[in-house]
Amino acid sequence: MNLERLKQVTYVDVTLWLMRAIIILLVIAGTIGTVIKDRYTTEQWVSMVMFGLTIGGIYALIALGYTMVYGILRLINFAHGDIFMTGAFTAYFVAAPLAKSGFLDEYLIVGMIIISLVAMTVCSCIALIVERICYRPFRSVRSLAPLICAIGASFFLQHAFRGMYGSSVRAYPDVKFFDTVVSIMGFNFPRIQFVVVIAALAAMYTLYLIVNKTKMGTAMRAVSEDRDAAALMGIDVNKVIIFTFILGGSMAGIGGVLYAFVFKQVYFFMGFFPGIKAFSAAVLGGIGNVPGAMLGGFFLGVVESLGPALFLDGLGIVAPYQLRDLIAFTMLVMVLIFRPQGILGERLARQRA
Amino acid sequence: MKPSFLLKSLAAASIVAVGALASSAAWAVKVGPVEDPIRVVKIPKGAPIVIATYHVISGADTALGLDTQRGAVVAADDLGNTLVGHPIKFMHEDDGCNAEGGQTAATKIAANQQVVAALGGACSSATRPAAPILWKAGIPDVATAASSPVLTAPDRGPSYDGLVRIVYNDLWAGREVANWAYKVRGYKKAATIHDGSPYAEKLVRVFQENFKKLGGEVVSDEAVAPNDTDMRPVLTKIATAKPDFIYAPTFVGVTSYLIRQKKEIPGLEKVALVGSDASMGAQLMEASGKDLLGFEISTTAMEPEAQGPGYKAMREKYKKLFGEYPIQGFHGNGYDAMMLVANAIKKVAVTEKDGTTYIPIKALRDAMFATKNMQGVTGKITCDQYGDCGVYNFAIYQYTNPDPKTLEPGKNPKRIYPEKF
Repeated sequence: MNLERLKQVTYVDVTLWLMRAIIILLVIAGTIGTVIKDRYTTEQWVSMVMFGLTIGGIYALIALGYTMVYGILRLINFAHGDIFMTGAFTAYFVAAPLAKSGFLDEYLIVGMIIISLVAMTVCSCIALIVERICYRPFRSVRSLAPLICAIGASFFLQHAFRGMYGSSVRAYPDVKFFDTVVSIMGFNFPRIQFVVVIAALAAMYTLYLIVNKTKMGTAMRAVSEDRDAAALMGIDVNKVIIFTFILGGSMAGIGGVLYAFVFKQVYFFMGFFPGIKAFSAAVLGGIGNVPGAMLGGFFLGVVESLGPALFLDGLGIVAPYQLRDLIAFTMLVMVLIFRPQGILGERLARQRA
Repeated sequence: MKPSFLLKSLAAASIVAVGALASSAAWAVKVGPVEDPIRVVKIPKGAPIVIATYHVISGADTALGLDTQRGAVVAADDLGNTLVGHPIKFMHEDDGCNAEGGQTAATKIAANQQVVAALGGACSSATRPAAPILWKAGIPDVATAASSPVLTAPDRGPSYDGLVRIVYNDLWAGREVANWAYKVRGYKKAATIHDGSPYAEKLVRVFQENFKKLGGEVVSDEAVAPNDTDMRPVLTKIATAKPDFIYAPTFVGVTSYLIRQKKEIPGLEKVALVGSDASMGAQLMEASGKDLLGFEISTTAMEPEAQGPGYKAMREKYKKLFGEYPIQGFHGNGYDAMMLVANAIKKVAVTEKDGTTYIPIKALRDAMFATKNMQGVTGKITCDQYGDCGVYNFAIYQYTNPDPKTLEPGKNPKRIYPEKF
């Protein structure tokens, strides 16, 4: 009955189905193996999910910058990871004296707001400069030039910071409040992890409100749907693009400060890997899609944290944590093959098609 | 003349020429009064004797390379900057502490046939490709701070025939750590972490082998990527195995994250973490903050008292020449490397009445390998048949203050084992 359809099946289809089946089988076998081994306690599993949510929240904040710029300009801003670094690095010079004087321990919320504002301002300004110098001249050019320029900007930022502050690592101050343990439903977690997840969620909710409820947000969505039509409707496209870069920069700034307080170290190259991971998260969630980037970030963080223990350990793989990046990027490749539009879908592209 | 005859005679001539060239390789080279199977360096009267060095002298690991290079310069100064009647001239190259850099530096040095010997590198990853290039050009090499076992392994192959090493071999380090952990501390269950680098992975393997031989158990064998920042999942896994201690001979980045995040993992709060000298220095102190307190590292003893008798004078001369005390731990090795080469040159060099000096390279290489009981600033130096000449005084140090300004090997980190030398 369906002979006609069967005839249309190609070798590529069969191979892809086989790949899917193999990966799903591996994941199931690994998970069963881990369950049988029963190596981890419930508390340890919950801790690992929490580690994943912590780093995932930071990925999500950076991913938002990638996704918004892509939504408006159809451009991957490869310098975004380094913009994240500039904020965290500059805020160090505020955080260190604040902690030393005891201000940060005494007025934690005010201190954190000051540090975050500095990081947000620096990130936004650098994002704007990168946009003005590297992207705007190429805005109407259909070529790879803006992409190459973005990579150049990324190198420039890294080495500018290396030149200014040296290649050594700087330690973020310890804050007493963050070092304490918080107990929820019988599980203990370091307080900083909660702070990061809640702060990331709050920042994302604010962004969601800006994009969906304000006039500027409406303009952003209009420009991302059709730039020319939006311009004809009287929207100042330049203004919208600048606003997008400021928003993306601010999210990266908050992400940078949270990252720095979790991992306590900043150096000139720190933005590269979180940047790549966040870009993967944006693609995972569906690039150009704001809720998708948030979901992609958290999802990537949790899979990275749980994956080695859940899938690889059960398969008997030695030293599975070395393969953590492999899990993350395999997932990215799988998404690109089987669901190129991402988990939530590249909403705009679909509407256009 | 027929063209075919011309072709035939050309072919015959080229065969003869090729044959002559091929057989000449097996002949000894005779320059002046000296004969050598490899080559002879001729130094006219008044011309300098050229010694090349290659170390990491740019980027994050600059201190490691520069400190070693300076050691060699101090040694030359102690020799009065002359050797067998010729002024010593250095050719300093940068290897960037990676394979590509080592290859570039060695190629540059090999292009200069006046170079008598090379000193370097400070990193195994750079020395591995560099030493064969140098030896192919007839330049013997002294590895100053590259400690990977492969460089002096019995199966290292003839391309490494020109390489001796003045620093300790990691095989010894892994063995000693296992002995100390099992016998002195009484640890029975160990967990290990490496970062996939040839240095850390090999060191961990040697440790595991020796620890198991003693009767210990390796309960968790883990690895992370060198750029990882989140060590908590891997530490959680280690916590499930309930080890007595964790051995992690990783570099600054990974080590500092381990130090900071270990305390967050239930079950690991009291478990000791032991690192190696790969992460030693002010960088680790800056990166780890107050959690560094109590962190232990295994290394060769670093205090002046643990070194050879000439060390203190050398340290003062270093200060005089460069305006600061040694910036890392391998200046003594640089010094001894230069002295080893100088002694060997003195043994084999032939100076004619007109002041021209001839140095046969094969004889020089053999004299370097034959070094026995040489009193160096790092201790008594004797080379084995595979070129291992390093001195190793195993010691464990513990950090007592996280402030990078207080870094002073011996006091902070403080030696906790052995109590006396």
